Amino acid sequence: MIMRNVLTGLAAFVVTFAIAHFVVLNALPGKIMSKVRDGMMERGLPVNAWQMTPRTSPENQAVVRPAPDLAYAICLVDLSEGPVELTASAWPDYGSLSVFSASTDNVYAGSLDARVADTPDVRHVIVAMEGQDVGNADGADIVRVNKPDAFALIRRLAPSQDAYEAAKDLVPGSQCGPL
Amino acid sequence: MKLVPLLIGSVLGLGAGAVSALFMAGMIGSGVRLSGAVDVDGWQSDWTIGSVAANPWTRARVARHGLLALTRKEAVYFTKATDEGGRSLTEACTYRVSGAGMPALWWSLTLYDGTSYLPRNTDNALSYDLTKATAEGDADAWSFTVSQTAPAEGAWVSSKAAGAFDLTLRLYKPSPDLIENPNATLIAPRIERISCGGQ
Repeated sequence: MIMRNVLTGLAAFVVTFAIAHFVVLNALPGKIMSKVRDGMMERGLPVNAWQMTPRTSPENQAVVRPAPDLAYAICLVDLSEGPVELTASAWPDYGSLSVFSASTDNVYAGSLDARVADTPDVRHVIVAMEGQDVGNADGADIVRVNKPDAFALIRRLAPSQDAYEAAKDLVPGSQCGPL
Repeated sequence: MKLVPLLIGSVLGLGAGAVSALFMAGMIGSGVRLSGAVDVDGWQSDWTIGSVAANPWTRARVARHGLLALTRKEAVYFTKATDEGGRSLTEACTYRVSGAGMPALWWSLTLYDGTSYLPRNTDNALSYDLTKATAEGDADAWSFTVSQTAPAEGAWVSSKAAGAFDLTLRLYKPSPDLIENPNATLIAPRIERISCGGQ
């Protein structure tokens, strides 16, 4: 009788351990991404618009492990009303335009480094959910995600204040908005 | 009677399962690496970072300690938290970090504290990169000091207010050779402890 009770308890432990472990593990990335996104919106970051972030310093770290040598521009992408179009100009040094899904996967990365072969003068990307019509993409790279919340990021090497200001000057001419 | 052991086992299982997931993801502690591991002289990376191929443990750990990390085609990330003697890096000691040319278009080395954030100091000396190595004259043989206060000469990364820390090496646009065979391609930076506690 005692042995049977021990085995029953053990079996219940193993099954619920596995369920809880994987439920929590799979939920964490989305929860963390959502918390970061909510925090940025609370600080006034608009949706579907590029926003230059201040030069990275110990006082203004929005995410873990920021690179202090890079200038960042962020767009909180919302696809609930349809696809979103991104554009970003090339940069004379290292640079990239990347898109992240709600589950934190890096689903797209395109070079903005003018020294790299095939880097266009202006990179053009359309982000859409599965099944959304992107019409005539006009040569743009198409990125598909499963959920309406996504995250676009421009990184440009800017180790000095002058380089940061030059990167900042490019943001108003870039697009992050409904297609 | 069967219900009591079932209930006890289930409650303990749920709690232990949730806590173990938080531990593996690094929400408690630094997390555990389960696959895709790359180790070049103690500099650790994971080639599945950022990709849909990442297992749930890696994805959760990266969300906690390296959110918005790029996939290996665009960038790879190496981290080391010990010196050449295998001792944990701490702000109480002074280190000399040195290296050679890197198989990437651009690279940087940045110091992060135990919570994966930049240390809270105002020294404006948070990282060392290819730009600085080039400016100092030789991108193929560079070095800098990691310490709480600026050295008399040479490049410096401040460890002030960092406590126990690690260094992250970012390699942007890594060469295909590095991805294919990291141990044969990357000449890993050396972290030598020079002194501790002013001695």
